[in-house]
Amino acid sequence: MQKRAFLIGTTAILIVIGLLPVISMLVKSVFQNGHFTLSAYHGLLGSARQWVLIKHSFTLAALVTAFTTVIGVPLGILLGKTDFPLRKLFLFLFVIPLLLPPYVTAVSWFDLLGREGLLAPLLGSTLTQHIGRWLFGLPGCTFVLFSVFLPIPVILTVAFLHTINPRLEEAARSAAGWGRVLKEITLPLIFPAILLSALLVFLLTFGEFGVPNYLRYAVYPVESFTRFSAFYNFKAATAAAMPMAAITLLALIFESAFLREGTYQLQPLPEGAQRMKIHLYRFRSGVVISTTLLLLMIVIVPLLSLIIKSGGFAVYLQAINKAGESLIRSVSYAAIGATLLSILGFFSGYLIRIRAFKFWRSLDSLTLFLFALPGTVIGIGLIRLWNTPRTNFIYATPLIILLGYLAKYTALTSRISVTQLAHIPSSMEEAAQMTGASWLRRMIFIIAPLAKRGLMAAWLVGYIFSLRDTSITMLVYPAGHDTLPVRIFTLMANGSPELIAALCVILIAATLVPATLISLLPLFKRQEVWL
Amino acid sequence: MRKYMPLLLSSLIVASVLGLSGACTRGQKTVKTVTVYVSEDQVFSEPILKDFQKQTGIKVKAVYDTEEAKSTGTMNRLIAEKNNPQADVYWANEPIRAEVLKQKGISAAYVSPNAKDIPSAFKDPQGYWTGFSARARVLIVNTKVKQKPNSISAYLDPRWKGKAVMANPLFGTTTSEIAALFTLWGDQQAKAFMMALKKNKVAVSTSNGESADFVAAGQYDFSLVDSDDGVNRMRQGKPVTIVYPDQQPGQIGCFIVPNAVVLVKGAPHPQTAKKLIDFLLSPQTESKLAFADCAQIPLHAGVKMPPEMKPISAIKVMKVNYAEVAKKMIEIQPFLKSWMGL
Amino acid sequence: MTVIELRSVVKFYHDTIALNSCSLKVEQGDRLVILGASGCGKTTLLRLIAGFIAPDSGAVFLNGKKVSENKTILLPPEKRNVGMVFQDLALWPHLTVEGNLAFGLKAQGINKTEQKLRIRRMLELVGLHGFEKRKPAELSGGQQQRVALARALILQPEVLLMDEPLSGLDYDLNVRLRSEVVHLQEKLGFTLLYVTHDREEAFSIARTVVILEHGHLKFKGDVAQAKRLLQL
Repeated sequence: MQKRAFLIGTTAILIVIGLLPVISMLVKSVFQNGHFTLSAYHGLLGSARQWVLIKHSFTLAALVTAFTTVIGVPLGILLGKTDFPLRKLFLFLFVIPLLLPPYVTAVSWFDLLGREGLLAPLLGSTLTQHIGRWLFGLPGCTFVLFSVFLPIPVILTVAFLHTINPRLEEAARSAAGWGRVLKEITLPLIFPAILLSALLVFLLTFGEFGVPNYLRYAVYPVESFTRFSAFYNFKAATAAAMPMAAITLLALIFESAFLREGTYQLQPLPEGAQRMKIHLYRFRSGVVISTTLLLLMIVIVPLLSLIIKSGGFAVYLQAINKAGESLIRSVSYAAIGATLLSILGFFSGYLIRIRAFKFWRSLDSLTLFLFALPGTVIGIGLIRLWNTPRTNFIYATPLIILLGYLAKYTALTSRISVTQLAHIPSSMEEAAQMTGASWLRRMIFIIAPLAKRGLMAAWLVGYIFSLRDTSITMLVYPAGHDTLPVRIFTLMANGSPELIAALCVILIAATLVPATLISLLPLFKRQEVWL
Repeated sequence: MRKYMPLLLSSLIVASVLGLSGACTRGQKTVKTVTVYVSEDQVFSEPILKDFQKQTGIKVKAVYDTEEAKSTGTMNRLIAEKNNPQADVYWANEPIRAEVLKQKGISAAYVSPNAKDIPSAFKDPQGYWTGFSARARVLIVNTKVKQKPNSISAYLDPRWKGKAVMANPLFGTTTSEIAALFTLWGDQQAKAFMMALKKNKVAVSTSNGESADFVAAGQYDFSLVDSDDGVNRMRQGKPVTIVYPDQQPGQIGCFIVPNAVVLVKGAPHPQTAKKLIDFLLSPQTESKLAFADCAQIPLHAGVKMPPEMKPISAIKVMKVNYAEVAKKMIEIQPFLKSWMGL
Repeated sequence: MTVIELRSVVKFYHDTIALNSCSLKVEQGDRLVILGASGCGKTTLLRLIAGFIAPDSGAVFLNGKKVSENKTILLPPEKRNVGMVFQDLALWPHLTVEGNLAFGLKAQGINKTEQKLRIRRMLELVGLHGFEKRKPAELSGGQQQRVALARALILQPEVLLMDEPLSGLDYDLNVRLRSEVVHLQEKLGFTLLYVTHDREEAFSIARTVVILEHGHLKFKGDVAQAKRLLQL
């Protein structure tokens, strides 16, 4: 009874928070003066140009997905499974580009490599010109978005590596070297992680507007965005966002085709099991050098350029002065948002994991659809739905921002929970059932503690994405309650570049500090076996 | 202790969520407030609003805008919130938006006492919007360019083929100016101008600010931008200068973009809204904005301003009717979209 | 008195038939061992009685009351007075021995003093006196088995199901624990259903032996009869 109520409640919350605003936009887009009409959709995908845009978006998304997966998965294995020195530090540093709105990263690259950029005197004018041509267009977009989204496969790989039953690797290692074991045992076992990260990166890149717009690569989201920004035409903008739904569906079908039922069933990890680690021996120095080079290239250099541009202590004081309040708000909203996201994601993941209802697949697809949809559409939908005198207690307060986070990012925490729950043997819950304990008691006292690593991971991911959100927050934040990324954007118009750079550095710090604190908690101590 | 963790955690969550909600709705009754959505750059508008708050004790809650190409902003909010307005005042950075709001029935008429001395070309006759502190659409030119362009027709000059940039004509003041040209020249000539821009390989940036940065960085020789973008780069010490275009007899004059203040229809706090509007339209505010980095031109006569600044009376102004321009802007949308290749 | 009854129970596992029109009656206080090779449906039978799965057709009765039939579970596991020791023991690693034992008592609303008393008594009974504060990871295999047993028995169930609980233990430990199980059953009087594939284990525990082969109840009788059947 309790179980049913909770799971139906979870579904209802997701529908009300996420689906309803979007449906209300959809419905409004097909009605003009009370008549049903598809005029807003007319001309959508009609022109050849729009197909070109879709092709561009696809190409960009495919390239970024390919590069991040091919480099991110081995990097994850390196940082999660070998004796690479200072693993945690490297992991943190690689995550940094994900913490900023991608547009900001693109701008910092221009500041570095542009004709009057920081590196221009070093590189000379002809080289700078060549770089300029490369920076603006597909190569530049691919590079910037690659650096922004690389953390996703890395983090997911590291997380899933923790879930492999060491017995399986041990058995293989007694017969073959690590190369073969990785290729034939380890990688197939973490295949769901690889697929999931590819799916997320693809959706995020496909929906990315700011970077390609700045770097002059014409992509499809421009269509929806322009119809909002330039013409204030909500109907047309909604219509233009709908192909995103089709793309998400396609991606999901693609994913499930690869994930044949049962083949990649995640195994519960025997308690106290010790993970296997790889010694790098003679490869060590080569690997460390190349990884450090990669880190320098995509993280350190732009980060340093930000820090250098921000100038001295005085600028940071000024930054705190101008944006201190929005920083505090950002951190609190993100923290509360992450907590709510973890809880909602936990129950949603449970529902999907145990296939409680026939529509479990639709619930998973719903969360991913909302993730893929442009934040603008969700934002306007939220305004339309919640901006009424009766619901003012939600709309005129930061609660509306939290609703936005819940709508857009539950897919992440839900999928993480599904994976984590797969590691808990069903006998754990069944043993609790046999003692007569109610479902809620079992969830709170048995399942949740056993799932705590996954819950922490979900919290961190929810925190990062909530903190860096701009598209939804921009539209719904109550007057006087702006967040730090929003303020960075508003101050960018004629604000001093030093101030903006300082604010970006502060934003990065605001994200890394909780992550560091959490990782230091004893939750994450595990014994490791060297072989 | 362990046992109470879930209870503690859940009460913490509920408390913080309620606290967020309560903190906002509480206290609204005791302190006077006004909510303003601002399209003028935060860097310039925030000090003015802070002054108002200090002077009157009325708490100002602001929503600031971003450059159009970065994200959707305050206009969309205003329009989406039509049925339950949250904003009291809208501080538009150009009158076209104010006109759009009038056409969509989102603004209310209010003739401020401070509007009296503002020239009629820069305000709505019924008081649906009133202009103040204007920008001029100017050419920002890199100092290394020897013979500087002095008209927007420089964009068509083969001398500058591939060397000029313009902000995306779908957004902001660029759209307004192009719509103004359409009303001035008529559709045929204006369309020909646009097509010629393409032929002369004029680059398109995402915003005026970006155009200014490109010119300052030497990537392009000149661009049509707002005067505040130009002055801002000059004061940062960048190698640029500004030129007021088309000032000679027989030329069309410079497109002037005043700020426009709008009273929102159904504003939750109409009394404080009117006070804020009066404050914004005052000569003192115009003086502050003239001395600020945005260097905006006062529309009241005799306002104190920096000596190097040209008063509005000394500039040849492009003669257009903003209401017509707003209508034209909507009309030419499909053309602009296809011009941009969308 | 019949405590457990299965009537013509059919259960499919994917496409293979796990239980093929199985009918079985278990008397109160019996020690019934279900013997059979792996994959013959033994675990399925236990899970049906526990209430985790429902028969595709046929019905399950507990104390004369129908608890599952025809794809429906009429009485969920937490409401059947049945205890279970799982094959992987399923001890909760984040709780101490005391925590594992107390969980069910708390759920029943039993007060703290009574809890502590029962736990102490039960631990003494299984020979783990003083082990309250240990965590499962700190216990040996045999000790873990006993905790799992204690956890199931502390709620004084009418029926105890055990699914190959002693597999993987060394011979001496196995023998010792077997006799402890028998001792407990005689002392406390619950009905025991015990699943194993090991004949020696089966014969040393059982009063009644049931042999399952490919979902069929091939034999039900006492140990002597079973031995004769299997020509031992």
